[in-house]
Amino acid sequence: MTAALSLRLNAFGLLALAAVLAVAFYDQLVLGDLPCPLCILQRAGFAAAGMGLALNLRFGPKPSHYAIVILSAVAGGAISIRQILLHIVPGTGSYGNAILGLHFYTWAFILAVAIVIGSAAMLLFDRQFEGERDRPLAGFARVVVVLFILLVLGNGVSTVVECAGGLCPDNPTEYLLLKSK
Amino acid sequence: MMSIPFFLLALGLVGAAAGNRGAAFGLWTAGIVATLILFRLHATDSLTIGL
Repeated sequence: MTAALSLRLNAFGLLALAAVLAVAFYDQLVLGDLPCPLCILQRAGFAAAGMGLALNLRFGPKPSHYAIVILSAVAGGAISIRQILLHIVPGTGSYGNAILGLHFYTWAFILAVAIVIGSAAMLLFDRQFEGERDRPLAGFARVVVVLFILLVLGNGVSTVVECAGGLCPDNPTEYLLLKSK
Repeated sequence: MMSIPFFLLALGLVGAAAGNRGAAFGLWTAGIVATLILFRLHATDSLTIGL
């Protein structure tokens, strides 16, 4: 696999992560499904995974960048497993909306596993690591990185509005900063 | 407090885009550590499963 093809795949991977954050935002802002604390932390896991892909796009593919993606996905996946286990026994309820029959935390786990497998598969191709690259972002890669940064920042702002300065309530029902007194 | 990981990671992403690889790595590490600490603070309910 050439570095150029690897960069293209990394750009589409980052776009996919942006889509994940965008769908979560849609569920929150349009469907009114406030994210729970563990849901917020799973989003942070996806945001962290995006860092490795963004580094690949800016500095060229490197194993250390894929390590960032994998470690972030493992962290996010561990958080989603915890939430799945909270609700795994029938009758113990669930949290939030389901999409295509699965709750968001279950999708988060499936995606975390897919990210780990995808990154490990990318690491199989050594040719992409040949040569040095340190070029400013341009074109499609630049658009995707900027979009991703805006989504991560948006999650930070929405979390401040939802949880104010402290820890979020376990089952949030309203935005704490918008709460009428 | 729950927003800290996002702001750290957003700063790291800006650092990466601007060409500062070291800052991106440092802020990613801080973001992941913050995420795991917040996870620890929130993982308080006992699980009703037998392993």
